[in-house]
Amino acid sequence: MPHLELVATLEGHQDRVWQASWHPTKTILATCSGDKTVRLWTPISHDNFEQWQCIETLEGAHKRTIRSVDWSPSGNELATASFDATTGIWENDPRDNDWECVATLEGHENEIKSVAWSSTGALLATCSRDKSVWIWEVESDNDFECLSVLQEHTQDVKMVAWHPKSEILASASYDDTIKIWKEDEDDWYCADTLEGHTSTVWSLDFNEEGDQIVSASDDQTLRIWKMYKPDNDQGVMTHNGEATWKTICTLSGFHDRCIYSVSWSKVNGYIASVSGDNSIRIFEKDTEATVNEDEPTYKNIATKKDAHGVYDINGVSWFPTKLHQDWLSTVGDDGLVRIWRVVLD
Amino acid sequence: MAFSSALVLTDLNDYIAPSQACIKPVEVTKSEDKGQTEIKVDNEGSYYEITQDGGEEKLEKASISLDDCLACSGCVTSAESVLISMQSQEELFKILEQNKIALEQNKPEDYLTIVISISPQSRASFAAKYRLTPLQVHHRLVYFFKHFLGAHHVFDTSFTQDLSLVESAREFNDRFKHYMQHGGEALEAAKQQQDLEKAVEDGKPKVRARRRKPNATEEAVSSQQDLPMLASSCPGWVCYAEKTHGEILPFITAAKSPQQMMGSLVKDYFAKKSGLTPNQIYHVSIMPCYDKKLEASRPDFFLESYETREVDCVLTTSEIDKMFHEKNLDLATMTESPIDDMFNKVGLDPATGIETSYGVEGSSSGGALEYLFATAARDLFNIPHIKATESSSHVLIKIGKNADVKEYFLVADDGRILLRFATAYGFRNIQNIVRKIKTGKCNYHYVEVMACPGGCANGGGQLPAESEQVINAKDWVSHVESIYQTCQGVLPENNEIIKNIYNEWIIDPNSERAHQLLRTQYHAVTQNLGNPLATKW
Repeated sequence: MPHLELVATLEGHQDRVWQASWHPTKTILATCSGDKTVRLWTPISHDNFEQWQCIETLEGAHKRTIRSVDWSPSGNELATASFDATTGIWENDPRDNDWECVATLEGHENEIKSVAWSSTGALLATCSRDKSVWIWEVESDNDFECLSVLQEHTQDVKMVAWHPKSEILASASYDDTIKIWKEDEDDWYCADTLEGHTSTVWSLDFNEEGDQIVSASDDQTLRIWKMYKPDNDQGVMTHNGEATWKTICTLSGFHDRCIYSVSWSKVNGYIASVSGDNSIRIFEKDTEATVNEDEPTYKNIATKKDAHGVYDINGVSWFPTKLHQDWLSTVGDDGLVRIWRVVLD
Repeated sequence: MAFSSALVLTDLNDYIAPSQACIKPVEVTKSEDKGQTEIKVDNEGSYYEITQDGGEEKLEKASISLDDCLACSGCVTSAESVLISMQSQEELFKILEQNKIALEQNKPEDYLTIVISISPQSRASFAAKYRLTPLQVHHRLVYFFKHFLGAHHVFDTSFTQDLSLVESAREFNDRFKHYMQHGGEALEAAKQQQDLEKAVEDGKPKVRARRRKPNATEEAVSSQQDLPMLASSCPGWVCYAEKTHGEILPFITAAKSPQQMMGSLVKDYFAKKSGLTPNQIYHVSIMPCYDKKLEASRPDFFLESYETREVDCVLTTSEIDKMFHEKNLDLATMTESPIDDMFNKVGLDPATGIETSYGVEGSSSGGALEYLFATAARDLFNIPHIKATESSSHVLIKIGKNADVKEYFLVADDGRILLRFATAYGFRNIQNIVRKIKTGKCNYHYVEVMACPGGCANGGGQLPAESEQVINAKDWVSHVESIYQTCQGVLPENNEIIKNIYNEWIIDPNSERAHQLLRTQYHAVTQNLGNPLATKW
């Protein structure tokens, strides 16, 4: 029976931890918290992964909770999104190994819920309780230019995630929908709205190819959506020459509380979800049972209950590369960060 | 979000409804001696505080006035929609009706002189929809307002656009000189040097510059508030700046917008000439957007002594179009009437002798950038006859990241860049300009800021294309813009009538009186963040 094994517990944050982001190439984890700091963690030695140390604490730039943190694809910058309505861009100066907040992006009216770098690092997206999604372009001198302010969600926008290969953005909202955003000439527009969830969509993630999305909702289900291009073989109707997304699988009956975060491993294809029911669940596509790729079956291969005790789990994130592809991180209201390993026996 | 760019009204009723989330704090005076008290409610719903010795004190009801709403930014939309609903076709019809009754009952004191000011942007919108020329539209609107409805005068805000431009240019030149005298000269020289170096370096691989602290001159200059000067004629932009970016207000030009200049002209100059008091005139302006209604209702434009506004009512292009439909009229077949000879820009073309409608050089956003650029070039750098509308040996125009950001450079004979102007239309571009100014990285001397992408031709109250016409939105806006520009510009310096107005009415442009008539102020709205009731969870 596959199961989840605890690798390490990282203590240090003074308040609930909201999100963790793995460095794109090195074994460093960045976590952000209600204590207004970001902490960088790494194992003490190459062969002992049970002991981790906090190598850096980034503080002083935000006046309220830091709700989201994301490494740039180059691993040289960190973006932090805060309830104080600003986004901080941090850079490490290799000469004196000093992290500095080099830019503060303002503009949102209230709490920012999520920040994400695009796959090339050329663009940054933020979303907020003010119902808008902002797209920024990175300029040379630590200046960021606002490319677009997208105001089509009708409620708080909880998360933004970029396509792993192209400059396509997805956003999840309290208005129960997911929106897909694309660029056309000089402005961005909503190319598709994914409806189906019956409550807030808290989180979403793309698969390795970028043709499928998994979403997590307050309606206690996970939905897997597949992209259908115009004139597709399956005969799915599209509009305006735009690709459309349809639910191909709904995973219900697993979590019995709100699902706050979901992560789709780009290495092994596993889906990990965490919930207000205090558990982590791992899902894998059941290749034997799946006859039709447009109606796949997924099975829950491992579950860890009370992963953070009685506390809600706010975020889950798979390790991004083959190096530790069986690792995932979870962060909770208990102020702890936990590293787990999926063990298949 | 509360930003204006495509503000459209749906149902509004007359009921003033403060939002349930009203955060106006109740003022409580602390008293020293009191111990425990109780509150009692009597049969009529009045509250009494009962002190320990049994004495009763009636408590005041908390009240929220319209002014409180306007000062706060908590539930801005309901207060603004109240103000907007006070300016509507219904109001105009009421005044017209009132006039009719005043005539019938021979009560001249109830009679109001109705003045209509038409904006060239609204005119261009009608011309586009009904496939007419702006002049034809103007003649027909005169018929509609004067002869069909019963208004008395129809004016053209292109006329006061000139006053606004002249005042703005005067202010810009003063600011530029002040800036140069206080460190600007050194900074400009440094930037020009940088430009030359950059021209050489373009092509070499970029080295990531190490951040360095600004030197003393740069610090002094970055703390100055002369430049960049920002346009003020867009109320959507001004209201946003007042609510969200109070620190930017000193940069906005103090010159009034054409609408408000017409307000001053009508209620002061015209009133005196006609032997009327300001409150005996009802001034309606026809504008391309709804935010102009907010501008008209600003307290700064309220004449206390006469209890009247300089502009009483703003109606948008689409509201007028609706009036046509309600009265079963079609602009395409409407009768034409002669245009007033006052405060209009119509004349006989010297070459052909044909009646021509003149306008203001530049884009539908008012031509401020073009005029200020040319005037500064002439008065500050001795380069006359500049036309900012096209590239030339002295003018370099660059399109930025998108069509709503353009840069205009004045180039000296020796290649140095003397002036850097820019346009920034639409929310995302405004964000970028504001951020650059706040971080001291804005290199422009003047920025024409507008809330609507595409400028005023694309205002929230403009007419859309007919449903039968298959045309995309951007092309339609370009079409309206090109019609706007068919009204050939006439420089204010070449307009004798404007000169006369200046001499007769303003007399001394640097006087206190001139500033009162032609300039205005901005007020930052401060948020009461300390109030826990204001935090939405």
